[in-house]
Amino acid sequence: MTAPQTHAQKERRRLIWVYAGLAPFLFIAMLPLYWMIVTAFKQNQDLYRMDVFPLWFNLAPTLDHFRTLFYQTNYGAWIMNTLVVAAWVAVITLLAAVPAGYALARLRLPGAENAGIAIFMTYLVPPIILFLPLSRVVSMLGLQDSWWALVVVYPTFTIPFCAWLMMGFFKTVPMEMEEAARVDGCGYLGALVRVVLPVSLPGMLTAVIFAFTLSMQDFLYGLAFVSPGDQKPVPVGVPTELIRGDVYYWGSIMGAALLVGLPVAILYNFFLDRFIQGITGGVGK
Amino acid sequence: MTAASQHGGPDATSARAATLSGPSVRSVRSRLRSATARRVAFGYLLLAPAGLYVLLLVGAPFFFSLYLAVTDATVADPVANFVGLENFRAALESDVFWIALRNSIVFLLVAAIFKSLLGTTLAFLLLQEFPGKKLVRGLVVIPFTLPVTISVLNWKWMYDSQFSVINWALNAVGLIGGYGSPSWPIWLGQPELALGACIAVNVWRTFPFSAIVLLAGFTSVPPEILDAAKVDGCSFLQRFRHVVVPMIFPILMVGFLFDTVFTLSDLSVVYLLTGGGPANATKILPVLAYQVGIQAGALGRGAAIALFLVPLLLPMLYLMLRNIKRREY
Repeated sequence: MTAPQTHAQKERRRLIWVYAGLAPFLFIAMLPLYWMIVTAFKQNQDLYRMDVFPLWFNLAPTLDHFRTLFYQTNYGAWIMNTLVVAAWVAVITLLAAVPAGYALARLRLPGAENAGIAIFMTYLVPPIILFLPLSRVVSMLGLQDSWWALVVVYPTFTIPFCAWLMMGFFKTVPMEMEEAARVDGCGYLGALVRVVLPVSLPGMLTAVIFAFTLSMQDFLYGLAFVSPGDQKPVPVGVPTELIRGDVYYWGSIMGAALLVGLPVAILYNFFLDRFIQGITGGVGK
Repeated sequence: MTAASQHGGPDATSARAATLSGPSVRSVRSRLRSATARRVAFGYLLLAPAGLYVLLLVGAPFFFSLYLAVTDATVADPVANFVGLENFRAALESDVFWIALRNSIVFLLVAAIFKSLLGTTLAFLLLQEFPGKKLVRGLVVIPFTLPVTISVLNWKWMYDSQFSVINWALNAVGLIGGYGSPSWPIWLGQPELALGACIAVNVWRTFPFSAIVLLAGFTSVPPEILDAAKVDGCSFLQRFRHVVVPMIFPILMVGFLFDTVFTLSDLSVVYLLTGGGPANATKILPVLAYQVGIQAGALGRGAAIALFLVPLLLPMLYLMLRNIKRREY
């Protein structure tokens, strides 16, 4: 060993090690996304050749793929479907999950703990076991081949998750306020509507975000229940409609993926910690 | 309601009760009992929408799938006859079922090994303090937050048989020959490569999840406990083994079980990348259940195959349940 290191030197060495360790992770995580972005803006002559450096533009970038998407496919309709389905799912989820979370967390119901766990467990019943019987339900309701089918089935996973999330949330809201309200003459409903709900807006916003982002992770239900090309949401429409036989329009596919995937990923990113808390510690606080 | 009011203490509720009905202890008590009844009734009323939704669209379908599995129901013919365990027997006698079961288990185990290795390393790195930590964390979790079909399509393009950017890079550094040469890998077209290629996508998608769950566990360990162990002369590995791991075990378990359930039952990665091919090399149970149940229209057969996942998932659900309960009390 040479002369003893100063504190600053040690710190610099530690940082170098940390960044060096993180670099491969960032590379693995970001490269596919980067490739998606570059692909979406490349001209086809630039895209389908192997003799030049592929990770940058060898010809001028283009918006052609996006034009194709909006003028020659149902992409615009898929975006609308996605948003409308998400809005309905969010409304249904809120109407069911917020009262349930409140009841389980605050009203000291007999068996509340077990009921809460039972509801959360249903989140873990995989769609692959439910989709065949649900296809019967969907056709009984006359909703096959329309995005309404998804409005009915997506809450099967968003309600359990969000009820669990809201239950954890309501446990952190101080109890005294609603008691004061109740003593002042509000009934249980009055206390809930006037005192508890206003302070619960952040929790409800989180539930809405998850109703949306969890719906975006579905593929099976959309694939099984919605076949008309103009009824699909984006995550189902892109893989099923933009791939025609063996012909892949990679530029358009990546453009379509990017335009919706990136905002969803960013939104989800902000709420990821809540998601992790939700599944690991909704109760244990 | 407070503890005082339950004992008839002098709070507002009982005071009002007293003025209304006189100082009779019995009437106060009966009022309180009816208040409890009202609270419970209100509670169940609030619970009803979520409870009914889940019962009708998760509970009932689950039992309906048990029923489908013992009938010969098809998409075309809704009138089903009871066939007993015929569908399960047919599954167990077909080669492709055993291939799918084996692939599912290989997929799960290999993916779990890589996810835990990558996840643990990343979690330790993110535990450090460094400038730009928030940004790095936000970027590194993107694979997990992108909608699954979108990232799978991205990988399908990267695995393209002719224009694969992965192959371009391997070729550029001289590891493989040019397109058409025998050393040019066709990731999704060669039986010996395809399953690995699918597993890689699953690992890529979920290693950030492992890391973040672990990180949540690590940061929940109070630093005082670690310091105490340090003072007592525990080495880094001893501290990790005897202090950190037992303390984060419940969180670790939940994350692990959660991931297992979702990896085992996920259809999208394999269905979109290969559809189960080439030559069943990537056929897993969910893909088989979908192809038999919807594409071939044999609802009963498909339901039976999907139900074979239950014995694989049941121990997971049981462990998870035990874990949640243990943490609670």
